[in-house]
Amino acid sequence: MVYFRIVSQYLAVFAVALTLNFALPRIAPGDPLNYMLTEDVLANMTAAQEAEVLREFGLDKPLLVQFTAYVTGVFRGDLGTSVRFGEPVSEIVLARLPWTLLLMGWALALSAAIGTALGILAAWWRGGRFDLSSLVVVLFIGSAPVFWVAMLLITLLSAELGWLPSFGAAPLGAIPGSGEYILGVAERLIMPVTALAIVQTASILLTARSAMSIALGQDYITFARAKGVPEHQVFFRHAFRNALLPIYTNVMIGIGNLVGGALVIETVFSYPGIGTLILEGVEARDYNLLQGVFVLATLGVVLANLIADLGYPLLDPRVRRT
Amino acid sequence: MRQLIRRMGKALVLTSGIALISTTASGQSPGAGVSGASVPPAKFLSATDNQGPKSAEELTLAMWSGAGNVTTYTIGNSWNDWVLWLVFDKLREPSPYVGKAEDWLATSVTQISDDARVWEIKLRDGVKWHDGTDFTAEDVAFTFEYYREGPANRWTHHASAVPRMVGIEVIDRLTVRLTSEMPMPNFDRVTAADLPIIQKAQWQGVEDPRSFTDLGIGTGPYRIVDYKADQFYKFEANEDYWRGAPVVKRLNLVMIKDPQTMFTALKTGEIDGAARPVPPELVLQWKNDDDLELVSSPTLWGAWLDINVSRKPFDDRELRNAVTLAVNPEPLLERVMLGQGKSGKHGWPHVDSFWTKPDLSAPHDPEKAKAILDERGYVDTDGDGFRETPDGKPMSWSLKVASNQPLFLRAGEMLVEQFAAVGIKTRVETIDPGSMSALWRTREFDLRIADITPHGIADQDMLIILYRGDKNREMIFDEEKAEIVERWHEADTREKRLQVSYELQEYQTRYPTRVMLWYPETVFAYRWQSYDNYAPSAGYGVFHKYSFLPDTLRGDTVDPLLTN
Repeated sequence: MVYFRIVSQYLAVFAVALTLNFALPRIAPGDPLNYMLTEDVLANMTAAQEAEVLREFGLDKPLLVQFTAYVTGVFRGDLGTSVRFGEPVSEIVLARLPWTLLLMGWALALSAAIGTALGILAAWWRGGRFDLSSLVVVLFIGSAPVFWVAMLLITLLSAELGWLPSFGAAPLGAIPGSGEYILGVAERLIMPVTALAIVQTASILLTARSAMSIALGQDYITFARAKGVPEHQVFFRHAFRNALLPIYTNVMIGIGNLVGGALVIETVFSYPGIGTLILEGVEARDYNLLQGVFVLATLGVVLANLIADLGYPLLDPRVRRT
Repeated sequence: MRQLIRRMGKALVLTSGIALISTTASGQSPGAGVSGASVPPAKFLSATDNQGPKSAEELTLAMWSGAGNVTTYTIGNSWNDWVLWLVFDKLREPSPYVGKAEDWLATSVTQISDDARVWEIKLRDGVKWHDGTDFTAEDVAFTFEYYREGPANRWTHHASAVPRMVGIEVIDRLTVRLTSEMPMPNFDRVTAADLPIIQKAQWQGVEDPRSFTDLGIGTGPYRIVDYKADQFYKFEANEDYWRGAPVVKRLNLVMIKDPQTMFTALKTGEIDGAARPVPPELVLQWKNDDDLELVSSPTLWGAWLDINVSRKPFDDRELRNAVTLAVNPEPLLERVMLGQGKSGKHGWPHVDSFWTKPDLSAPHDPEKAKAILDERGYVDTDGDGFRETPDGKPMSWSLKVASNQPLFLRAGEMLVEQFAAVGIKTRVETIDPGSMSALWRTREFDLRIADITPHGIADQDMLIILYRGDKNREMIFDEEKAEIVERWHEADTREKRLQVSYELQEYQTRYPTRVMLWYPETVFAYRWQSYDNYAPSAGYGVFHKYSFLPDTLRGDTVDPLLTN
């Protein structure tokens, strides 16, 4: 019953998101015509010629017809044709998605692992040198804009040291799957992942430190120690397990943050993922492209939250009873 | 470790500096222009003129604006039309901006009728399309027909409007005769030098060209072999190119939108050239760089203040005269562009365009501006220091700039002060770039600052195009201007047309719809060790197909380069 209610809620959220995805790009001033045709071209056009261009992309139809086509298209996997690229949106999005998943996956894994490890250790040694120094570093880094961290990395690791390539996702000309290609992809992943992970780590660390501190202050920890439970068991079995829930929540929320971060990071590194696609879609007022990307992003975030919700009962038996 | 820390410290400082540069670069007109047929030539700016290779097996250049599948429907502006010209040729080249052109796909372009309405084009024999088929008169005729009847693009006005072709006739396999509705005395210098010729076999039957995803087939020196839109393009030299094989065999274009990333990639050697102007701050830094060479090359771009003449009170041409008299472009050039370029006091079109009246100027005279405003009834009735409308209502104009254009924002703030000096209240409003580009159609603005490329300010026919279209017809079009435009259409010799064009420029400068602010100088950078045979060409800078042809085959398509 709990699961049915959760899934129903998410379906409702998805329906609202679909509507917003359709409405938001159209509320913004302008339309795709302004991207497709520059002013010097528009200056010479008649209203009929303008309408002809809009017809080519189905934008001349009433909004309700466009909305119906969009919603039915989503369920059929047909997201329309991109004005900017002249290609089916689903193909463009699917071609870009793996790069963003690679980027976000690594960034999330790294930030979760490092943030959690540093946070719980800081809580364990609360007030000590490690705790204070990690807090100072984290507060500094956590407040840095992700694009600035990215630029710093480019300047240091590319411009100054020449260790890493500064843009793109894969080496041009390398055969996909070859050693050169895989190495090139890995090299190009380091800086964007680091930039995203650094900023995200700060948030996770603070959450982990706080959750672990609270857990360590509970009576059951004192009781465990009083009955002689070894410290490593107190740490892992009694404190960490109880601190895990807020950390898990923060990590899952971080997926949404990473989508936003990817938009900036992918632009800075010319990384061909979903983030740059959103920017390109907004610039061009490419309704179909934006709808497609937003549907994907919505699905992604809804799915992540659903997984988080479904995962709570597994992590914490108390949730099952509510 | 100590060295690493020192480098990190340096990186911090550099990042802050480059962040500033990045901000200005993203806002700077990604092109500029100094030069034309009779203007100072391009300049070599680096301290040392190195001697690098004059040919290359492979080059990787970075660009910032997408080119779709490299067709006339996916490239529509002068930011990146040089990519199109790698693949496509024109009847005559290099461009309509310089008032001269040499035969390219044509061997002759001849005026047949005295009224300049009929022209005959003899085509070069032996030219092949990239798919190996013959280039013939059918392709040229088809191009004009498709552009006259088919969907509009940046070039279609050459067949559908100015001039409008009423007769397109294939005389024989290599001869085409064109007849226009009105005289076209500069067909050989403008139309023939701007219109890309497309292949009939590829385009006939294509009704939705913007959704057409086949690779463009041209006759040019490069064939496109692979691309991912907004990611990369791969070109291979057309070894059978009729004019001779290019000296760069493989050309890769990669998309890097962020200016800082692009210039870092150039510095580290990941790319061999950056096809976007180097910001002024970086020019100073790179002049003594051992790996890079800098060339200031004309692209004939500009920045202008657009006035919404479809909105009151800007339909009052005398008020527009006061506006242009109130604007002083000199301090804008000095403070916003750090003096790199020419001020807009020369008026519109581009000061270095062949077609521009030599002594054209837009004077700055605030006293005269005040007198005009007083005379027209725009006076300060409530004593707040700002004028009201003749019927006593408050008058405050918005000046819109795109949020990704910090240079325009600075210019806007200075213009607010200049307008305040004559009693006009204005305010700067920033909006997102997408909304900015919509303004031309929505007309939801008073004033705005925008970029303009050579097609808009260095092409004689575009002066007239900008008065056509339904949107333009909705705007105020006074009788004096209409009469000049009519005479322009009727002018049947080069001289007559140039003289009427000068009249129109005078009129436009006095009663502007756009006030020129500056014409930026454009500096490009490349790694000389990879390839050191770039040549400037007015309107294109240094990254264009002529730079990749052997020196002896470039003809008059390139301009002289002043070296140290």
